[in-house]
Amino acid sequence: MQNQIVIVGLNHRSAPIEVRESVAFENSYVQDALARLRGYPSIHEGVILSTCNRVEVVAAAGNGQSAFDEITGFLAEQKAQRHAGPLDDHIYTYQGADAVRHLFRVAASLDSMVIGEPQILGQLKQYYDAAQQAGTVGAILHRLFHRSFSVAKRVRSETGIGSGAVSMSSIAVDLARRIFDRFDDKSVMLIGAGKMGDLLARHLQSHGVQTLMVTNRTFERAVALAERIRGNPIRFDDFPRYLKMADLVIGCAGVADFVIDAATVEKVLRERKQKAMFFIDIGDRRNFDPKINDLDNVYLYNIDDLKSVADDNLQERSNEAEKAEKIVLEEVRSFIRWMGTLEQVPTITALRQRFEEIRLREIEKSLGGGLKELSEAQRAALQDMTTAMVNKMLHGPISNLKKSSPKDDEDGTLYVAALKKLFNLEDK
Amino acid sequence: MDALLIKLTAVAYLIAAGSFFLYLFRGAAATRVPTVLLLFGFVVHSLGVTILFFREGFATVAVMGDALLFNSWLMVGVYLLIQLRYRLTVLGGIIAPLAFLMTFAASAVGGGVGEIPPGFQTFWLPLHVTLAFLGNAVFALAFGVSLIYLLQERHLKHKKLTVLMKRFPSLESLDRLNYKLLMWGFPLMTLGILTGSLWAGIHWGDYWSWDPRQISSGIAWLFYGALLHGRITAGFRGKKAAVLGRFE
Repeated sequence: MQNQIVIVGLNHRSAPIEVRESVAFENSYVQDALARLRGYPSIHEGVILSTCNRVEVVAAAGNGQSAFDEITGFLAEQKAQRHAGPLDDHIYTYQGADAVRHLFRVAASLDSMVIGEPQILGQLKQYYDAAQQAGTVGAILHRLFHRSFSVAKRVRSETGIGSGAVSMSSIAVDLARRIFDRFDDKSVMLIGAGKMGDLLARHLQSHGVQTLMVTNRTFERAVALAERIRGNPIRFDDFPRYLKMADLVIGCAGVADFVIDAATVEKVLRERKQKAMFFIDIGDRRNFDPKINDLDNVYLYNIDDLKSVADDNLQERSNEAEKAEKIVLEEVRSFIRWMGTLEQVPTITALRQRFEEIRLREIEKSLGGGLKELSEAQRAALQDMTTAMVNKMLHGPISNLKKSSPKDDEDGTLYVAALKKLFNLEDK
Repeated sequence: MDALLIKLTAVAYLIAAGSFFLYLFRGAAATRVPTVLLLFGFVVHSLGVTILFFREGFATVAVMGDALLFNSWLMVGVYLLIQLRYRLTVLGGIIAPLAFLMTFAASAVGGGVGEIPPGFQTFWLPLHVTLAFLGNAVFALAFGVSLIYLLQERHLKHKKLTVLMKRFPSLESLDRLNYKLLMWGFPLMTLGILTGSLWAGIHWGDYWSWDPRQISSGIAWLFYGALLHGRITAGFRGKKAAVLGRFE
């Protein structure tokens, strides 16, 4: 049983969201789908991966081309009625070393929309577990996926690919961490009811912030928002009085003029004995006077500042990605080598068997014919001689085959394929 | 014997300094390696200092080279204690090169054989020197912490986030540590000056003789006292305190 790794799928680059959605597998449905996948004749092992950015089928199959056709058919069948167009334009296929490389890159988050995002590894594990439960994982995919997990870990620990936040909220929290040691004794004031501010406030809460004040021009909205995110509503006219209690101030009011100016902050700072303050202007319009940043012990970041930090971090990540690609290539090579040895042993056994068969057949023929007169001792000597001859003839090719693979994987698989072809060793 | 140990110490500190820089700017290295290297240097350093004191007596700190040796030994020791509690590996990036320079200079100047002025073989002197040097060591660390604070604050103000910054602790914890160091350093310095003056009184017959050393330490004492007072009452914290804390 010859096994090849194949991948058929579509991702955020190859297909628009509506196409990805149309073939996505719902969680509850994955087990059934795996069972169906297993039903195809060339598919020996299979794992389905379905996230919002990609739908892929990873399989160990007997024949690459027919596996491609079968999986494409499988995906087409999965495709919901919503999307009528053909899938073929959006699908990519990989096999052999390319497939291994693709999976390793996916696991290491090199193929993600946001390079280095950490979720993909967890998703991969989850879908692998599902396939294991469905019984569609065998020796090859077992090894392949476990390798991909450790490649991901290696990439994460040896490169800076996962470092540096890239979403606005996490960057703001990251910056706040450089100013403040802990959040559980800090107070946050949220000004305005914009979506980004709401999001950031929640993010800060999840990092330990206990006290959250919420204010808005219309008090009712402040109350509603405060209720939703467990904060205390404050009237807009009152907020300057409460400002001295706030360590972090988030501005997300959709108004055109500055809500807080530098003079106010200067006064507030004196009242709080110069304790540091962090102003985050996260709305589309600026709510805080940029001059605030000129004061000592106050830090002001607006949305553009946060964006430029995000860009820097992304740049840094893609620099690190080059290092990661090298690690992936290294690991692909070692995996392919393993695949080679997997094929090697049965091939060597088959080769020996083939020669032994020939030897026995010919001895039988000769001993029944022209060599009928030989004595027992002579017959034994003949057996020994022919066995030695076969062994001597096979010694060179076999030891070269074993030697070749650890050094150069391409040759290893090539020799195995050549031997199979030349000596007719294909499965009976 | 001790001269060789001091050379070895200087080399160990140099290697530790290199390792701290690698940690700061390259990022990948394990956090503990530089600290362990520094600790190794410190052990050799301790051995050297012990042997020196056994041979020459404590009064040898009156000689420039040995004073440097003793001072740097205290500084590294205090840093290692702080590291144990606060995990402030970045600070090692300042302390290790400083320790290297001091031990290197000590080794270059050579010590242990200088003229020891009369009156140094008393009980007051070791006490005075230890307190004053300990105060120096604590203030050297406060200086390092202030420097890191200012770097971090500058990066934040100018909105430039670098690899270096990822290694820095938050401004809040740096400020708190700076304050704590000041709280330790100031009493040590005060006691150092008092014991020194007492010793001067006993040996020179004059407690305060406007000697340059006395004047400079008097000015430093007033300065740090003002800084501490400012921090406690007027909210002299953060940037202003860090800028002031830099003048040692």
